[in-house]
Amino acid sequence: MVLEVRKPRPLWEILFSTHHTDIGLLYIIFSLTLFFLGGALAISIRTELFLPGAQVFEDANTFNRVFTVHGTTMLFLWVIPFAAGIGNYLIPIMVRYKDMAWPKLNAVAFWMIPVGAALVWLGFADTTWNAYPPYSILRAPGPAAEMWIFGLKILGISSILGAINFVVTILKMKHPDLPMMKLPLFTWSILSTSLIILMSMPTFAAALIMLYTDRLGVSGFFNPAMGGDPLAYQHLFWFTFHPEVYVFVIPAIGMIYEIIPKFSRKPIFSYTSGITAFILLTIVSFASWAHHMFATGMSFTEKTVFMIGTLAAVPASAMHIFNWIATMWGGRIRFKAPIAFVVGGIITFFLAGAGGVVNSAMPLDFLTHDSYWVVGHMHLFLMGIITFAFVGFIYYLFPLITGRMYNERAAMIQFWLMFIGVFLVFVTQHLLGLYGMPRRVVDYVPVEPLIIMNQISTVGAYMLLVGMGIFLFNLIKSAGWGKPANMEDPFGIREKYYDYRRREPHH
Amino acid sequence: MVSYSALVLILVLIAVLTLLGVNSAAFAQETTERYLSARIEIWALFYRLMVVAFVIGAVVMGTMTYVIWRFRESHPKNRGDITPAAGGGAHH
Repeated sequence: MVLEVRKPRPLWEILFSTHHTDIGLLYIIFSLTLFFLGGALAISIRTELFLPGAQVFEDANTFNRVFTVHGTTMLFLWVIPFAAGIGNYLIPIMVRYKDMAWPKLNAVAFWMIPVGAALVWLGFADTTWNAYPPYSILRAPGPAAEMWIFGLKILGISSILGAINFVVTILKMKHPDLPMMKLPLFTWSILSTSLIILMSMPTFAAALIMLYTDRLGVSGFFNPAMGGDPLAYQHLFWFTFHPEVYVFVIPAIGMIYEIIPKFSRKPIFSYTSGITAFILLTIVSFASWAHHMFATGMSFTEKTVFMIGTLAAVPASAMHIFNWIATMWGGRIRFKAPIAFVVGGIITFFLAGAGGVVNSAMPLDFLTHDSYWVVGHMHLFLMGIITFAFVGFIYYLFPLITGRMYNERAAMIQFWLMFIGVFLVFVTQHLLGLYGMPRRVVDYVPVEPLIIMNQISTVGAYMLLVGMGIFLFNLIKSAGWGKPANMEDPFGIREKYYDYRRREPHH
Repeated sequence: MVSYSALVLILVLIAVLTLLGVNSAAFAQETTERYLSARIEIWALFYRLMVVAFVIGAVVMGTMTYVIWRFRESHPKNRGDITPAAGGGAHH
């Protein structure tokens, strides 16, 4: 077993290791920890909004801080590090190399993340995760905003270092007898993701420096009083973070491609179309950033270009969904927790995508802009397909990591709680947006429809909380005391599992 | 099984219908005279798109439900010896 739970190693040996499975494990444990912390903030937000008026937070500023750190945590400290962790764990195995191309750089990339996380959490900024100027450069309290900027800077550098390592490992370190077109689709997903990071992240890195110097008052890039333009920041921000949406979702898609064929006991319906769709998504991810800015007074031509650019992602996403359904068609699906989560994720992926088409139609965007619709849409993606695929994949990798089996019944209870909970929380939030509730508000107009829908949303959030509690308990208990897994075929599906005998010398 | 060409045809059709509707309302707030009727047009477009989304959603979700029900391991037609399909799993 890779982790060797039954023959534990000293903690320092894992902490100071540069071996890809150890770094991967650190990524996974760290990101899961931050996921639970960010989730706790989400529960406080939903508790506050259960009723109009003050429930949890005394003032709006504290509420702003909480949802800023919640958003930053979930995006940069849960989704990205988790995908990097799974990539670390599996990519060298899949390309048949002993480790990542640069193991020490890999360790450095990981250890930058806790530093960035500490800055974000100790500062507790109130800028929102977008940090739009002019508020973020003129009024946002320091040093929290500065700590947020530096935290994000460090996390961005870590992402870039990790991405370089993945690209080189996949393209240059793969076994010479292994052609690209035989690599698992998960490898292609990590390659696509890494390329997107490399192309998009430097823009935000530059924007952060400009934001910081604007805050110092030595420049006025985004300060209207000094001749700057706040909208320029939005362009720089979304040039990075719309592609980043695909950085979040593409690894999840890759994980789904690992799980569905195994549990359906069929080869992937169309391997080539999967790769094509990844490449298409990588390209079109850069053609749609300004759809976040339709309400900023862009010209009709600009809006049309970005609307079409956004809709261009639909065929590629549809290719994936079609591929998954066609793979399951005619199979003999054994519904264990990993594929249950994946199927749930596909359903939410479709719903979130349908909502996204509405957002991307420029006249309709004015209906939904800055409303709770956007909150519901974004979360349906992040808590829907991405988190569902991630949780499913944790269960899938659990025997490889621990040598033990998780509790299947607990995992299925968690699945149903999360599946129903996600619908209650985030579909309701779409409706809240249509009823006119703005996003990022600590209080709302005390009218019956808003109160009822907020309460439904909060009840759903508590279902997610219970599901997450079961998840945590299952992980800890099963890792320590779970039934030893049959490592050749832990799920009894007679499909090839990962090579658990892989023991490379630790660096 | 829907062929690729049929799928592409459906997607193109949806894209054209969407763009036609969008173009008619794209200049919604250019003049004050058109403001009220534009609001109606926008909501009409919203409902039209939602109808399209729900129809496609029903087809996709229906297919998913059928696949989950019919091709589950415990389905009567799926019982018996497990023989992995030709091709040998996910990684070709």
